[in-house]
Amino acid sequence: MALSKKEISILIEIVFSIAFAFIFLPYFYENQDNKLILMDDLIGKIIQISIFTVFYFSVAYSLLELVLRKNETKDERDDMINSKSYKLGYLLYEFSLFILIGYVCSKFQNKELLNLTGNQELYNGFNITDVEIVFLILMLLAFISIVKSLYQFYLYRTV
Amino acid sequence: MILKNNLKEVRQKNGFTQEELGTNVGVSRQTIISIERYRYKPSLELAMKIANELNMKIEKLFYFA
Repeated sequence: MALSKKEISILIEIVFSIAFAFIFLPYFYENQDNKLILMDDLIGKIIQISIFTVFYFSVAYSLLELVLRKNETKDERDDMINSKSYKLGYLLYEFSLFILIGYVCSKFQNKELLNLTGNQELYNGFNITDVEIVFLILMLLAFISIVKSLYQFYLYRTV
Repeated sequence: MILKNNLKEVRQKNGFTQEELGTNVGVSRQTIISIERYRYKPSLELAMKIANELNMKIEKLFYFA
């Protein structure tokens, strides 16, 4: 199977996103109480993760641009494929955020139920910390990015 | 009705490679391959550029079958 430079760069993008979702984020999550994250508050953690994420993707995409995307022609077919894949990513992002907001709302509702009924079991089933919500959103973004890139790759192979 | 074309035959007759034709009309080799295989329908602008480059009328190059 002969792959063009664009297809190879998409596959590398997928590898970067998988590494981010399965290595980088779980590592941060497991070490959230250790010395890796110096600040204890949620805002501090979000800022640290954001800085690391921006740094990681800046280095990764700069390398890709330098090695593979230099002197590449971008034409209307690329625009069409990009618009289709970004549209899918945007729809998935909207849909999953909608589900997540519903889930978080149900969590708060169950907290109120705990106060009213004292049913600890019901509350434990939905218990999720604020840091976990942030990681869930980041994981979601990583997965959507992977799906978007896979669809982009599929379109490059078939269109 | 499917939009088809004679691009491959006409291009070869004019002695262009896919890479050369793509460069002359401002698209990649992959885009020319996709058009030749009827996978991608070019915009009117691109179709006219290709027809112009190959000195052919657009309706002779692209047709419905």
